[in-house]
Amino acid sequence: MVAVSRAGARAATDEDWRALSASLRSRHRPGDLIAFAPAWIDPLGRRFLGDLIPLDMAGRMDAARYATIWEVAERGARSPDAAGLDAADQSAFGALVLRRYTQRAVAVATDFTAALAGARTTGRSRGRPTVSLEEVDFAPRRCVLVVPAPDQTVRITYPGALLGASLVGYVGLADVFTRRDVREPARLVVSIDGRPVADVTVGVEDGWVRFSAPTTARAGATVEFAATAVGPRARDRRVCFAAEARR
Amino acid sequence: MSGGSAGWIRRVPVRARRWLLGAALALLAASSVLAAQREHGIARDEVPYMSYGVGYARWWIDLVSLRGGTATERRITATFGGAQPTDNNREHPPLMKTLFGLSRILFCDRLGWASEVTASRAPTALFHAAAVVMVFAFAARLWGSAAGLFAGLLFLFLPRAFFHAGLATFDAPMVTLWLATLLAYYRSLASRWWALGLAVCFGLALATKHNALMLPAVILPHYAWVAWRRSRPSGADARRPAGARLAGAARALLRIQPLLVPALAIGGPLVLVAVWPWLWFDTVHHVRDWISFHAHHVNYNFEYLGENYNHPPFPWHVVLVTTLVTTPVATLAAAALGAVHAARRARAGRAAEPERAPVLLLALSAAVAMGVFLLPTTPIFGAEKHWAPAMPTLCILAGAGIVSAADRFCRYLVARGWIPEAGGFARTATALALGSLVATAALSETVAAQPYALSYYNALAGGAPGGADLGMNRQFWGYAARGVLPFLDRHVAPAPGQPPVPVYTHDASPAWGLYARAGLLRPGLPDAGHEAQGIARSGAALVIHERHFARHDILIWREYGTVQPAWVLTFQGVPLVSVYVRPAPRSGAAARR
Repeated sequence: MVAVSRAGARAATDEDWRALSASLRSRHRPGDLIAFAPAWIDPLGRRFLGDLIPLDMAGRMDAARYATIWEVAERGARSPDAAGLDAADQSAFGALVLRRYTQRAVAVATDFTAALAGARTTGRSRGRPTVSLEEVDFAPRRCVLVVPAPDQTVRITYPGALLGASLVGYVGLADVFTRRDVREPARLVVSIDGRPVADVTVGVEDGWVRFSAPTTARAGATVEFAATAVGPRARDRRVCFAAEARR
Repeated sequence: MSGGSAGWIRRVPVRARRWLLGAALALLAASSVLAAQREHGIARDEVPYMSYGVGYARWWIDLVSLRGGTATERRITATFGGAQPTDNNREHPPLMKTLFGLSRILFCDRLGWASEVTASRAPTALFHAAAVVMVFAFAARLWGSAAGLFAGLLFLFLPRAFFHAGLATFDAPMVTLWLATLLAYYRSLASRWWALGLAVCFGLALATKHNALMLPAVILPHYAWVAWRRSRPSGADARRPAGARLAGAARALLRIQPLLVPALAIGGPLVLVAVWPWLWFDTVHHVRDWISFHAHHVNYNFEYLGENYNHPPFPWHVVLVTTLVTTPVATLAAAALGAVHAARRARAGRAAEPERAPVLLLALSAAVAMGVFLLPTTPIFGAEKHWAPAMPTLCILAGAGIVSAADRFCRYLVARGWIPEAGGFARTATALALGSLVATAALSETVAAQPYALSYYNALAGGAPGGADLGMNRQFWGYAARGVLPFLDRHVAPAPGQPPVPVYTHDASPAWGLYARAGLLRPGLPDAGHEAQGIARSGAALVIHERHFARHDILIWREYGTVQPAWVLTFQGVPLVSVYVRPAPRSGAAARR
């Protein structure tokens, strides 16, 4: 009885949020990532700090691009975005804790999502691939969305791409309702100059699946993402992928 | 002392005392549920039940008024049926919907005593009150009035069941009629006439919700056990061969209640057909459609332990874990004590009414009500309301647990010399004190859970925030949207003379018109429509937080260009509903800056 009646009392108040927000805003720089933990406080965090979170940041592929991460936490939770990092500083605001992390941000040679306009597409699909903010694994993801026809492959080719030391990407299936109603997986094969470097099969329960491959820094590479809706029953298979060539 | 202040109580006959207690519990249950429901939002499913219920009720009024053309196939189809699986809500039997409609016509439209929503919900509240009384009566019969009283109170103080009791839906009435069927069957083991009561209750249960189809799976095994037990040889017959024992059991099957199978196989279905005009023609076809709809029910999205399930199989432990974290802990503890108490008494040969095995009946009831959700092929439903008929078992055992714990405590006090004897008064006083503690704990959780009881989790989970940490379902049915109506009223509603501000109402869309009719929504906030098109038309947008509804946030972000809600409704600090307001278009000068 006491535990339940105190559950609400232990929750962060609007005053806690306002105090934290004022403190964070005084030190925040454009491009700093703000993450919330546990994930379920995200709507509250966005209410008080959402103006500092652009759509692209909310739909980030991962946190590697961000040199500074502000973690707003409650109930002792930690954000996966700050996993493995040590807080440079932290301060408490009632039930909330604000932690600042710094890391060496990756430098991006090519953002294949942003570069979609320059890519070539072949294969049967529903509409053309687009850059979109999609729900994958119940989180926002800014990605290239492609919907191959059942049992078909769509190839998205980036000619003249600039590569770095690695190619890192993620793939998942967008939209909870099509994941529920269509159970067939999708496959994404990544090739550089015709040589496959990553091959991921992603099912309806797999979420946002990471892939990576070492690369040699150079310009003029041809990078191809081949998305397949696996099987004749794989209708409306919304393949959502994002990838970066990292220096 | 025992003959003094408490003496007058004892002079009241037990039967009268129980009638009084039962009536008091009924009054408490009905009035508290009806009062509490005024703060509840409108659940998505209530809307069609209320509206079709009025149609059903009018049809019955026309029928008893002998209005011509009422009982024609055409009119019945137009009211109760149709070509598509959900036409006129024909996928659900009509009993409660009809009562919702009759209640609304009487108490709202004709008498003006209650609002449309309250009048529609009143039958559920009354059914729930009846369930509280039945829980009380059965526990009192088995373990005494104190056990009955606390069983009834603990059943009333189940936060989630209390919430469902205030809705125009079928889940609370299903519990009532499930229990009524079992009690009628129980009585029928001693009186043939109760077979009629069994048929009526079973038929009404069938006419409430398809869960009732599982009742024979409770009754028939129990009956077989009772027959087997009563055929047990004694004395000189004790060494009868197994064949003779089986023959004896078969004779007992026919002798104890010969009308049992006819009551279940014929009487109940006849009652179902009688109250469901859609079955008055093409009966087999229509029954098949009804059952088939639920056998192939769409899988809900349901979050459980951090995973969103929308495809079978659901983990087998969903039922157990969900019950463990959505029932007040004190009630669970009392029920565990009660189960141990009942098991010990049975082992010692001192079980209550052993010839009719009431505890076995209660156990089978809970096992069947929950068991179907352990099957790997059952569609994903998720919420505890689906196996709510198991809860009376738990609360009846809790009543027994309180009394047995009080008994033991009394004996402990006597052994320590703190009280002279464990007499009737001492035992009753101890039971009342202990029961009051347990009931107060459950009451306080029930009060704290309102009006967002579908987000309630108990102390084992750590309250609503603990439930969120565990990744348990946040809510369903979109009813929490009511909590943001005052915000919309203050911050979004247009001033008089200004154009309306359409609102993307998300899962509250079906209830929007009712909120407006109830005066909870100012004019000028129409429903913008569904999905992306609705959001594109909207000036404000709601997202009712369930894990799979994250896509609605994203749809709104795309359209509004911001991830920032203007306000978030919370329960114990856990977000329930976000309200977004479309940012004002930037002026040319501002845009250039």
